[in-house]
Amino acid sequence: MFGKGLLKGLSITIKRLYGPNLTEYYPEVKPILPTRTRSSMVLEPEKCISCGLCINACPNQVIILTSEKDEKNKKVLQTYHMNMGRCLLCGLCTEACPTKALKLCQVYENAVYHRQELLWDMIARSKQANISSGKVE
Amino acid sequence: MMIEGTQEYSLNMGPQHPSTHGVFRMVVHLDGEVVTKVEPKIGYLHRGLEKMAESRTYTQFIPYTDRLDYLAGPHNSLGYVQAVEKLMDTEVPERAEYLRIIFAELGRIASHLVMIASGSLDISGWTPWSYCFRDRERILDLFEMTAGNRMTPNYFRIGGVSQDVPEEFMPALKSFLEDMPEMIEEYYGIFFGNEIAQSRMKSVGILPKELAENLLITGANLRASGVQYDVRKAEPYGIYDRFDFEIPVLYGCDTYDRHFIRLLEIQESKKIIEQAYKDIPAGPVMTKVPKVLKPPVGKVYHRVENPKGEMGWYIVSNGSTKPARVRIRTGAFVNVQMLPEIVKGWKIQDLVTIFASMDLVLGEVDK
Ligand code: SF4
Ligand code: SF4
Repeated sequence: MFGKGLLKGLSITIKRLYGPNLTEYYPEVKPILPTRTRSSMVLEPEKCISCGLCINACPNQVIILTSEKDEKNKKVLQTYHMNMGRCLLCGLCTEACPTKALKLCQVYENAVYHRQELLWDMIARSKQANISSGKVE
Repeated sequence: MMIEGTQEYSLNMGPQHPSTHGVFRMVVHLDGEVVTKVEPKIGYLHRGLEKMAESRTYTQFIPYTDRLDYLAGPHNSLGYVQAVEKLMDTEVPERAEYLRIIFAELGRIASHLVMIASGSLDISGWTPWSYCFRDRERILDLFEMTAGNRMTPNYFRIGGVSQDVPEEFMPALKSFLEDMPEMIEEYYGIFFGNEIAQSRMKSVGILPKELAENLLITGANLRASGVQYDVRKAEPYGIYDRFDFEIPVLYGCDTYDRHFIRLLEIQESKKIIEQAYKDIPAGPVMTKVPKVLKPPVGKVYHRVENPKGEMGWYIVSNGSTKPARVRIRTGAFVNVQMLPEIVKGWKIQDLVTIFASMDLVLGEVDK
């Protein structure tokens, strides 16, 4: 009978109509992402030994860092920038970091108005509480 | 046949047309509403991935492979990492092999769900679209909790996978598998069994078997034209030979069958994942590989069955840390050829459905 399929479809829709609501009310309700999600980066400058392994691992030359040698001939991190406009958020840099100074975090509201703002000063950012805790407030 | 006093009309469809599923442009020649000729124009999404591979190390190129068929990231990476492993003669731990299969097949299900969803949306069926996307979301959640990203997981590594699955993965996978029969029934009830959908798709856009073979069409499009060919069976890679599954084949050669075969393939993928879920051993997920990869001088060709068709990786190594040449054979790129052949004589509204049934993803077409 023509129309049987249509009725079947309608009955499924009606059944679902009384099912649970699946919509997320973003941005009023902010989801908490799994801890492995790669949506942003955070650096702990005290842990960084300026070894440069993250730079070598990165496919896109996102990371720029400078360091100076102290009296014990040990490298001390001076500046650490990430050019996020080029970043794939692939996580290869964090995988390569031997001291886990560079870590992924789940801050996902990263949109900015100007291109220059995409050059992240990671040392300055590490001092912002919401970013270092890795959660969207 | 032209009516006297009228002339052929050519219309640009795309590159920003919503039904072209990306940035695809076709120049449509029309006689009234009837399509007389279609010229596909590709390249709007060209990123030069093959060239990029030459300037990156073997590991650094893995994240880019996800961006070929971005609806099913894992299977592209699978082809690439297996090709490099073949070149280097690397063994992969058992657990990693199983995880690879689970991810690759979940990716196939996700990709086919998008195909069914957008196919229905193109004939104004909003509800099936939201149902398919609802379930695909669960697969993407599984990717996210394990690999850290939804559509570009970057999960596979040369020699294994980046990390083991988290504790909550297996229960979530199990509940997804348990819910699948009901989902499939729903898709059937709401879309495939719907008479309006059927009358829009049945006997529309015929791709005869001979033509499909001559045009080197691969993947589900070929199987909907009556050829039972799948690389997973024809030349099993990874551990596909250990699983018991069928290669569905349909003989309708039309738009409906090209949609319906995806539903059948989802069921077969489910079977594979269930077996992998049952048999997966414990153990390491990454074998010992040097930090700096330098495959020996040589070349390799490896092919896999990704959701869009046969994907081939040809990699030439000159012994350095970066490949000398990478050539990617993608299913969707070759499948574009069928479009001008099968739309001739159909109305412009049918062009949209026929195009949807080909399941092109422009990341793969343009590379
Ligand atoms: S996430 Fe990837 S692209 Fe971004 S800085 Fe790290 S290695 Fe580079
Ligand atoms: S790899 Fe880690 S420790 Fe080394 S420079 Fe990068 S952030 Fe610092």
